[in-house]
Amino acid sequence: MELFLRKLFNKTKEYIVLVILLLISLILLPQNSNHQVKKIRSYAFASFTFLLNISLSIDELFSDSDELANQRKLNAELMLQLNQMREYALENKEIKSLLDFKTSATSELISSTIVAKNFSNIQGNFIINSGWSDGILKSMPVINNNGLVGIVTEVEEDFSIIRTLHNTSFRIAGTIQRGSIDGVVYWNGKNLVMHNIPTTADIDRGDRVVTSTLSTILPPSIPIGLVVKKESNISGILSNIIIKPFADVASVKNIFILKEITSKQIDSLELNLLKD
Amino acid sequence: MIQHFIKTVIIFLFLTLFQLTVIPLISIYNVVPDLLLILVVIYSLKYGQLKGTVFGFLVGLFFDLFSGGLLGSAMFSKTLAGFVAGYFHKEEFEEIFSNLILFISILFISALIDSLFYAILGSAEVELNFILLIFTNGVFPAVYTALFGLAYSLFVRKK
Repeated sequence: MELFLRKLFNKTKEYIVLVILLLISLILLPQNSNHQVKKIRSYAFASFTFLLNISLSIDELFSDSDELANQRKLNAELMLQLNQMREYALENKEIKSLLDFKTSATSELISSTIVAKNFSNIQGNFIINSGWSDGILKSMPVINNNGLVGIVTEVEEDFSIIRTLHNTSFRIAGTIQRGSIDGVVYWNGKNLVMHNIPTTADIDRGDRVVTSTLSTILPPSIPIGLVVKKESNISGILSNIIIKPFADVASVKNIFILKEITSKQIDSLELNLLKD
Repeated sequence: MIQHFIKTVIIFLFLTLFQLTVIPLISIYNVVPDLLLILVVIYSLKYGQLKGTVFGFLVGLFFDLFSGGLLGSAMFSKTLAGFVAGYFHKEEFEEIFSNLILFISILFISALIDSLFYAILGSAEVELNFILLIFTNGVFPAVYTALFGLAYSLFVRKK
């Protein structure tokens, strides 16, 4: 019997190992939000940044001048301001005066460079050369001078991971600026889509899509993209809006992190309400 | 043995770094060749199915950890790719490597399996039809990886 089992094992060991390893992978997949898994990931990422530091020091020899970096930062700041202006123009005077009060403060921008890219139509992630030593925190929005690029998901001392728009796990509340139509914007593996919008909603090709005031992750009015197509679903009642992002995620190199976390603002508001 | 292990680790770290920093520069419509997969396939063809499967698993694990991807997705896909490539293992590795068509075919099949499963497991909520998913996230990356493998094998042959 023992000999038979041993023979059987020797004949099928490749399959047994394969099944065990595939099972481990499948078990780990839903554990990604687990605290311990996150801790292991952050340790692994921290050790990988050591290697990145070395490659970066070589890359710095060929990097852009400071002046160019400053110009890019100015461009991004102007882009945000311009978008805010557009927002004001679309609102009536009464709401505008209220919004003036709410959004008078400008957000601080932290400039950074992408040092590594995980190119995929499903799991697009970038690694940037700024971390918590530069004041970066998880959930901070990442932009370039054209619009939204992604969001910070992992932070180490000198490096951070960004989940880009080209990641199917990336979901944000967006607004079609002209008609103030809110919806969830996400990457479907091919396009950026605003999901389940009533077909009767007044949406035209070329309408601007920005982050919504309903977002608990991102501050409002960050440009996302332009409406390029409206696709009705089978029932015809709801439509999916295809959006062309302003930022060319594939070719972006220099980015800015908006030093602002909306959820914290909401948290503090909620705390204030509790105090009352 | 230890020397071989250290050599493999160094090659893996170098290729991971190269994959994440340099390879994106030659992307075509978000499609990039997968150097780590080429490494897994060569390892599997050289050392057999069992070692290739385990190596694919480890490469996938560390790639998931380093790249910020979903832990488990590259692990699964590279384990499977290593296993499939291992079917073609021969004692004389040079025999496979010298047959260019065979080598590229193995690389293409392994890359197709790898990129397809990486895409499927990467997100359960991808709303593409299956044919489109096979082409955009399976065939195109596999072709690019196979072409890269072809260039590599031609380069090695010349040497």
